[in-house]
Amino acid sequence: MPLALVRRRLYVLPTRAGLAFAALLFIMLVAGLNYTNSLALLLTFLLAGVALVALYECHRGLHGLRIVAAEASDAFEGTRGELRLGVENTATLPRQGLRLRAALEPAGAAAAGAAAARNDIAPRSSGSLHCAWVAGRRGRQPIEALSLSTTLPLGLFRCWTWLHLPIEAIVYPAPIGPLPLPAPGARRQAAGARATEGEEEWSALRPYQSGDSPRAVAWKAWARGAPLLVARYEALGGGEHRFDLEHTPGAGLEARLRQLAAWIVAAEERGERYGLRIGHTELAPALGAVHRQLCLRALALHPA
Amino acid sequence: MTRAPATSVPLATLRLLLGAYLAGTLLNLHHAALWVVPVAAIAAAWRWRAARSGGRQLPGRAARSAILVALTLAVLATFRTLNGLAAGATLLVAMGALKLLEATRPRDFAFVAGSTLFLLLAACLDAQALWRLPLYAAQLCLCCAALLALARAPEPLAPRPALREAARLLLLATPLALLLFLFFPRLPGSFWALPDDGDAVTGLSNELEPGAIAELSQLDDPAMRVRFAGPAPPRNERYWRGPVLHDFDGSAWRARPQPYAQGPALSYSGTRYAYSVELEPGSLELLPALEMPEGPPPPEALLTSDYQLALPRPPRHVLNYRLAARTQYRSDAPLPALARRMDLALPRGRNPRSVALGQALRAAAGDERAFIAAVLARFRDGGYAYTLAPQRLGGQPVDEFLFDTRAGFCGHYASAFALLMRAGGVPAHVVAGYQGGEWNPLGGYYLVRQSHAHAWTEVWLDGQGWRRVDPTAMVAPARLEGESVELLPGAARSGTRLLHDLPWIGTLVQGWDALNAWWLRDVVGFDFARQLDLFGALGFAPDAWRTLAGVLAAGGIAWALLIAWQARHRARPPPPDPLARAWSALGARLARVGLRRRATEGPLDYAERVAAARPDLAADVRRLARTYATLRFGAATGAAAIAALHRAVRALRVRRR
Repeated sequence: MPLALVRRRLYVLPTRAGLAFAALLFIMLVAGLNYTNSLALLLTFLLAGVALVALYECHRGLHGLRIVAAEASDAFEGTRGELRLGVENTATLPRQGLRLRAALEPAGAAAAGAAAARNDIAPRSSGSLHCAWVAGRRGRQPIEALSLSTTLPLGLFRCWTWLHLPIEAIVYPAPIGPLPLPAPGARRQAAGARATEGEEEWSALRPYQSGDSPRAVAWKAWARGAPLLVARYEALGGGEHRFDLEHTPGAGLEARLRQLAAWIVAAEERGERYGLRIGHTELAPALGAVHRQLCLRALALHPA
Repeated sequence: MTRAPATSVPLATLRLLLGAYLAGTLLNLHHAALWVVPVAAIAAAWRWRAARSGGRQLPGRAARSAILVALTLAVLATFRTLNGLAAGATLLVAMGALKLLEATRPRDFAFVAGSTLFLLLAACLDAQALWRLPLYAAQLCLCCAALLALARAPEPLAPRPALREAARLLLLATPLALLLFLFFPRLPGSFWALPDDGDAVTGLSNELEPGAIAELSQLDDPAMRVRFAGPAPPRNERYWRGPVLHDFDGSAWRARPQPYAQGPALSYSGTRYAYSVELEPGSLELLPALEMPEGPPPPEALLTSDYQLALPRPPRHVLNYRLAARTQYRSDAPLPALARRMDLALPRGRNPRSVALGQALRAAAGDERAFIAAVLARFRDGGYAYTLAPQRLGGQPVDEFLFDTRAGFCGHYASAFALLMRAGGVPAHVVAGYQGGEWNPLGGYYLVRQSHAHAWTEVWLDGQGWRRVDPTAMVAPARLEGESVELLPGAARSGTRLLHDLPWIGTLVQGWDALNAWWLRDVVGFDFARQLDLFGALGFAPDAWRTLAGVLAAGGIAWALLIAWQARHRARPPPPDPLARAWSALGARLARVGLRRRATEGPLDYAERVAAARPDLAADVRRLARTYATLRFGAATGAAAIAALHRAVRALRVRRR
């Protein structure tokens, strides 16, 4: 990276509409020849010319586009993550109808998400393209291949390229567990301890940050016109959770990792400080999106 | 009834599509059934309201099936067939209407767009008049705009940018279309027989009845256009022979197809006129030809014993053909007995006074020539008048004309003259055709209109062959001198009169006709034969398909390069302004001595670096950089100051050390 889309990486084939258009042109041609009608032939040839210009411009829609960045957001098992591609258009022509798609994405999902995923990049500017990717099993998931395509201007041809970018997404264990969040302060305590709801109070409001749980947003304040604020809950007594893989019950490693993921998500939502010990990794109790990501990544990357 | 699902096509796109569909319907009105207008309008309005309200109801499956059956039956009832252009266009509108009522996905709407293109094709196949060309072009642009907008669905594309983009695409496609138009191999004929639409076409017919030509003379429609390779014959020799009428029933003259095997051989003398004709579609199964055609007939025609060029069927489209003629001809051979009998026949008991007159005049004259002269003298001196509004004639029309009304037009005179000739024992027949033609200086051709229709006679003189006698010339010599307008009773009302008063309108009309002629001849009439002509003119054999493929490939590549070039041209960054040019000129000079400006370097920093490296240039470069910075970033600016900077940069001497 950066990566420019060169000619030999681009493929063009007619779409179904393009094939139908070709059939239409053929019928027009035969009619024009049969009636020895110059005007009909001129019409046919004009439309053929338009289709060929569309073919060229469809190719031009991708040719020379520069891929400058790519990243995949983390996702839980079985959910969809988002993939962002930073592209730069150095030409003075707009790039129209760009559509990004992950190869792993199942066909049905692609059709559902396709409508929203089209994007234009203005001339001499840069922008980002998005698509969804479906998270598989816990761990590192390389994004095998991405297809970047466009069918504009006429929808008769589809020009696409396969992008093999060094992107790895991290898949967290699914946050599913049979056990509720233990009471804070139950340090190194096995599950089964009493699960108190914990009397909570508003300790402070801080500005919303990317990654905050929507449940923690002070919607009432927002509705009164305040900016998006996040309530910081702190359990009375300032207790903390100390999650430890070794002391987490569950049938098998994966089940225990999922339980831990569920607890981390729950603790973060409630605003209860939590720490994690897993293998040789120890994360001191803290709160926040970054901490949550660190903990979940530790779960995701724990050797099986 | 079902609720319309949320349409997947935005309103702006739908507006373009409905516009294209309705316009396509209107373009076919001249041959489609008129009831398609309300059908198309209702379907479009229904669809539009359904899309606007988002929840209005569209017809359900059962209702749609009923509409389908009803519309198909309506087409069948109107045309008695589903075949043919008119029925096909009507059916296309109906199917488009039906599709509009059920369309939900972009694909359905694309189907409507496709049928709109077919409607345009149907209109092109049926009507090729020049004035329709702008309409067709606009409709094509509208169709392409609808396709562009549909390709963007569900995102909207506003009509104005869509139309602009469509026009751009079409403009880019035009060179290729012209290349293919000229070089794509045409067919000499058709793949399959075409249905005959059976439209009545006005023009000469194989029958002459008093009144028929008078009707024609009111028609300003062009009949044919003629270009002479060399000089044209004088007006009074420009007789375009149409059908030769042998059979007379007492009032009307009728033609016979190929009356006998072979006409007497002709020997020609005098000037040879080579010419080419563009014949408008008509109902005649022959090519009108200048008297008398010489040489082999065009490939599509057959020379008959009447020296006519017969066609297998009336021309459906404009027909181009080349011929040669000489106005001096004779034949020494005797007239075949069959022909003599045919051209002497008179219906028994009809026009007895005229027959008696003919016999009397023949008996009084010494020979056939004197007989002809006597009859013509009677027309000239007998109080006969030329009028296009003669009285109605009864059961013995020639008698009534010759003895009572004594007023008529060419048809009456030709008919009466031929009858008198036959009564006097001279074989004679009536020839219908055109006489004269207007010279169009802009197009370089003679325009022969339907109003130039004329009738004259041919008589057989032993030892000379057929002689043309035009009895009308005795009565109204002006008719042959091109002043027939003055004789037209209705001319004051028609625009023709105006043309004679206002010459510039005449020029305008002639220009328009010349443009039409070019259009019909070189564009609409560009067929297999003309393509062969073109190949011949370009110097490659018509069957050299490899050459042709090469021409097409080379042209196609040239076109592709053109497209790529214009895309690059569009993609090129805007040219730098004069100030930037002056500044980069300084950078280029200093780069030659190894002091290239870095991309991140501001003007003053650059000047300092240069000053450090080359103290001899320090003062100049610092001054220039300061000037540039002031002009670029300061408040003051001006073309004069920029020009001065340009001059100062050029004046700077940068020597290597």
